[in-house]
Amino acid sequence: MMTNGVVHANVFGIKDWVTPYKISVLALLYEMTASKITLPERRRLNKLILPLQQGPDLTLGQFLQTVEECCPQTAYAVKLRLHEMADGELKDMEYFFSTLPTPFTAFDSEAYKTSVVGLFMRHMLLAYNKLSFSQVYKLYKSLQHYYHTLVADDSEMDLTSTEDTVGDRIDKEELDTPLHESELRGPLSQKQAEYFLARQAYLLKNDENKALKPAALQEELNNMLKFNPDFAEAHYLNYLNSMRVQDIFLSAHSLLHYFDRLILSGSEGKSNGDEGYGRSLRYAALNLASLHCRFGHYQQADLALQEAIRIAQESNDHVCLQHCLSWLYTLEQMKGSDSTVLTEDSVKMAAHFCLPYLASLGIQSLVQQGATQGKTAHKLMDALKDTDILHWKHSLSELIEISLAQTTSIWRMYGKSTMALQQAQLLLNMSSLEPVNFGVQQNNTEAFTVALCHLAELHAEQGLYSAVSEILQHLKEQFPPHSQHAKLWMLCDLKIQFERHMNEGKYLLAEPLVTAISALNKTEGLYRKAQVLKALNRSTEAYNILQRLQVHCEKTKCTEMIIRVMLSTAELHWESSGFSTALPLLLQALALARQHHLQSLASETILHLAFTQLMLGVPEQALSVLHEAIEPVLAHGAIMDKGRALLLTARCQIAAAGFKFAFAAYFSKLNCKERLRDVYYLQAQLHRSLGQTSQSNKSAMLFRLLDQELQSPAPPVSMRL
Amino acid sequence: MKMAALCGEFGDLVQIKKQLISVISLCKERGLLHSAKWASELAFALDPLPKDELPPSAPFTEEDAQDLDALTLAKSYFDLKEYDRAAYFLKGCCSQKAYFLYMYSRYLSGEKKKDDETVDSLGPLEKGQVRNEALRELRVELSKKHNAGELDGFTLYLYGVVLRKLDLLKEAVDVFVEAIHALPLHWGAWLELSNLVTNIEMLKSLSLPDSWIKDFFMAHMYTELQMIKEALQKYQNLIEAGFSKSTYIISQIAVAYHNIRDIDQALALFNELRDQDPYRIDNMDTFSNLLYVKSMKPELSYLAHNLVEIDKYRVETCCVIGNYYSLRSQHEKAALYFQRALKLNPRCLGAWTLMGHEYMEMKNTSAAIQAYRHAIEVNKRDYRAWYGLGQTYEILKMPFYCLYYYRKAHQLRPNDSRMLVALGESYEKLSQQVEAKKCYWRAYSVGDVEKMALLKLAKLHEQLNESDDAAQCYMLYIQDIFSCGEQLEHAEVSTALRYLGQYYFKNKLYNEASLCAQRCCDYNDAREEGKALLRQISQVRDQIETPSADLFTPLSNSNTPVRRVSPLNLISFTP
Repeated sequence: MMTNGVVHANVFGIKDWVTPYKISVLALLYEMTASKITLPERRRLNKLILPLQQGPDLTLGQFLQTVEECCPQTAYAVKLRLHEMADGELKDMEYFFSTLPTPFTAFDSEAYKTSVVGLFMRHMLLAYNKLSFSQVYKLYKSLQHYYHTLVADDSEMDLTSTEDTVGDRIDKEELDTPLHESELRGPLSQKQAEYFLARQAYLLKNDENKALKPAALQEELNNMLKFNPDFAEAHYLNYLNSMRVQDIFLSAHSLLHYFDRLILSGSEGKSNGDEGYGRSLRYAALNLASLHCRFGHYQQADLALQEAIRIAQESNDHVCLQHCLSWLYTLEQMKGSDSTVLTEDSVKMAAHFCLPYLASLGIQSLVQQGATQGKTAHKLMDALKDTDILHWKHSLSELIEISLAQTTSIWRMYGKSTMALQQAQLLLNMSSLEPVNFGVQQNNTEAFTVALCHLAELHAEQGLYSAVSEILQHLKEQFPPHSQHAKLWMLCDLKIQFERHMNEGKYLLAEPLVTAISALNKTEGLYRKAQVLKALNRSTEAYNILQRLQVHCEKTKCTEMIIRVMLSTAELHWESSGFSTALPLLLQALALARQHHLQSLASETILHLAFTQLMLGVPEQALSVLHEAIEPVLAHGAIMDKGRALLLTARCQIAAAGFKFAFAAYFSKLNCKERLRDVYYLQAQLHRSLGQTSQSNKSAMLFRLLDQELQSPAPPVSMRL
Repeated sequence: MKMAALCGEFGDLVQIKKQLISVISLCKERGLLHSAKWASELAFALDPLPKDELPPSAPFTEEDAQDLDALTLAKSYFDLKEYDRAAYFLKGCCSQKAYFLYMYSRYLSGEKKKDDETVDSLGPLEKGQVRNEALRELRVELSKKHNAGELDGFTLYLYGVVLRKLDLLKEAVDVFVEAIHALPLHWGAWLELSNLVTNIEMLKSLSLPDSWIKDFFMAHMYTELQMIKEALQKYQNLIEAGFSKSTYIISQIAVAYHNIRDIDQALALFNELRDQDPYRIDNMDTFSNLLYVKSMKPELSYLAHNLVEIDKYRVETCCVIGNYYSLRSQHEKAALYFQRALKLNPRCLGAWTLMGHEYMEMKNTSAAIQAYRHAIEVNKRDYRAWYGLGQTYEILKMPFYCLYYYRKAHQLRPNDSRMLVALGESYEKLSQQVEAKKCYWRAYSVGDVEKMALLKLAKLHEQLNESDDAAQCYMLYIQDIFSCGEQLEHAEVSTALRYLGQYYFKNKLYNEASLCAQRCCDYNDAREEGKALLRQISQVRDQIETPSADLFTPLSNSNTPVRRVSPLNLISFTP
């Protein structure tokens, strides 16, 4: 066969052909129409048909077992029918094919000609009728072989044979072993191969854990390519698979190979139009760009992208250009430069060309940028709400998931843990919209990982460590360490462990975690290192690191980190009793936090501020500042923050009270002994509760003296102003 | 010293001839036609023996006498390609010769059926699965006999072939080495072994028998492993030892010269070969490639016609005709003939690549890509196919995309300037001047075939305003062009001279500048500028009369990374 002047290796152009396995499926279909089967059994068999038709060829043993589980009676009938053919003559097989109900003629036949079953039967009949004499004979031979391997397997146990054949047998089996594997798994037909590839690609995208392991998948693909080197899609899956294991060499190779092949298949007729190979050229360059981008080769990615843009521009392909544009802003973002304008352009153009996916992806990216740049919350939420409408309209379930995960992250950033918790739960309880789920309600996409990580951190904040470990266990099962989203939960896990050790004061245990964290996220690692150093009283080193970190974060505009660094620096100042130097720093941090609506950080800053004021000897001021923070902390804060806030309030109150007790002097001046007695009583209670026994005793003694002096029972303290 | 040793080894040419004659008859009896052909060719190159010196035929044993009738019958069936029939009548024979023929016919029967099956398989995907069903049975039987030590040289060879077909390469190598030890004169075993040796380390690790035939093998191996110098040395030794008339050696040397692109030498040898052996078809495709490169139309036409008369259904013939049409710019026909070659032998690597080139000429890029991809599938190390793919994408204006392919090609031929220049051009298109400069410089350093790298490098320096480097490169370019003697079509000496003139003028080196300007006047396109420059120089000279020693100060202060620009003595390069 020749197309475009080129010899095609696939001479036959047949998509499907008859194999012994297919004959058994046909026999099953035949038996299902011919014999009476009870309704539940029929239902089970009906459910079986599609996977049997689409799956790879099974051995007869496997096949019969599957059928037997649904309906033993039919399985027996199928086996009998095959036995008739295999132990009979060639004509028995021919007879079988001639007795098959032909969906071409019979209108009232159960297999309607356009149904899945009908199509399958028509394919098979056509393929069978096309066979030449020798091919029919060969098919019959292989059917016999197919049937007899089953029989041989069954009767192997009680086989009695003469000695020399035993010797022969062993010899043969010994030599057979290396070939056995590949013999069992025959080549896939085009249909089966397509089904296999589609399914694996889907799983790679949505639920990597369920896809074949990289090595196994590679082997399958190699096998497929060996039998049909023209099957270009297999190269693409190979590319995806190599990306999984971060193999740049193989993935680039497969990607280019795929597009080389694609160019051929797309080249029929149109040379440079929308559908012709010009199109695949553009997408080839674009895909190469994405490959380099994913491996972090930004310069290479940039060059490839420019090439894609140039070719797309030359041929006026706006859709391709839109894709390029969205990669362009992604690339800019990855490089760390501001790409808001580009993104906005992209969204506008995508909306103009009616590409909802790209448009809302752009909006989501904008929201992310806006959140870090301190845009007001209602704008962001509005934008997300608008995109959500778009998603539901076009049922872009993937984007719905991302949007929910993003909302969770934004709420957490703002310090509204309840809202974040609610959004995360919403996502986790939502069932996926994807039509084909293979029996699962949810996919394991990145959005789910993010939501689960937030959930784990939120629980850790509340000190619910058993819940945390359960969530992490789930994450570990769903996203094994080698999979692409595993880094997210690894970092989360490390952070939680680190916090825990720090809270428990096991600084030496926290230290090794720092290296692990910095492997996953450098900035976070540096910050944690500073914290450990601070805890270990190595202030100078910690201070140096914090300074470096602040410069770095100001460059990358990472506001949250800047504030946290400032707080840590202030804490360092405290240690050197430089409370007044800490003040401006804290005020600056507070301003930043308020500007970016980061409530939890703002509250924490206020706590720091109050403490500084307390230490500077103005507890009243501290108390008034604290009032502002105490409410949000109690509502949203982590229990650590809650505890610290309450303690601080108490200390302030004590300090302030110490001042108030000075009024005892006024009372004593007035000689208002009753009130003085109350004061002493309260003082004694307070001191005792604080464990200051001697002072407590002193106050108690004064109280006792006065009490004796007054000789009257004291009224309850609280009853008086 | 080595020569003396060799002469000692080959001294007894008579002995060698005797060995050859006896092995020819052995091979013929067993139907090993190619080995017999090789040995006969070699024997023909040696002086004929007197009648009484002819070697006696192989000893005739009792067993042979018993099997004689069956063997004769089977051999005639075998010769008529009725392998199953031959095997049937040989069953039960006990002599070594009959046993070999028995096994060999079973093997060939399996191979034949496999080929038939390929055409008539159940489906396209099954094609990869079709295999010689007889192989496994043969292996079982042969391995039993092998363990018992009952195999002779020929059966060992067959056992090795069976193992290789079953992809048991390691075992196959061992068995072939054993076969060679048992029967060193059987060239087929050596040839099979050579297909399994992948690198020089492996070659060195083999323990081979010390025979004169080993030198042939080593030379063949060196050619295969692209160690052309060593190969040529070996073949030279063989010729000096007395095989000067052997067409086999001549053709091998010619192919070796072709591989290192020494076109003239190769052409001379091929012409000699055609004189001695006018009806030869082997290696003629290589010859036609050479003629094509040299654009020798009449010779190529003569060769094509001649070969068609001999046998038009040979892969080599089709390739030659394809080359012929390609040279006449009839690319459709050329592609057609390459396709025919591929139908005759789908694993013919050269034809795929050449067909890709033809499609490129026809601007059918997608078909070209397919052809190149097929070539790569046949042999991943085919640098021409990778290079061709790169060129295709370059034509499609995808300079970044083609980088990958050029890099692949460069990886396979690190010292080939064409890939380096192509890489440099791609980098230049991507505005990666630093990379481009590296590529061009490297291309010049490994010996530039097309003499373009320096010019491109100079232009690049010119663009980047690195005038010292640019001048340096132009100067080297001019030296390069004139030293190679022949006139190249695309030579841009005038550009170089023009730039150099301006450069010297700017640096106040008026003598050199005027020299360059005068040279410029030799070229049509630069004459006006040359004259203008001369006028400028004379004006400036009139204005200032500075001592010549000062002229060099600005130059010597400049710290250029490249070698110092020296005043140019153009007189010595006058064409």
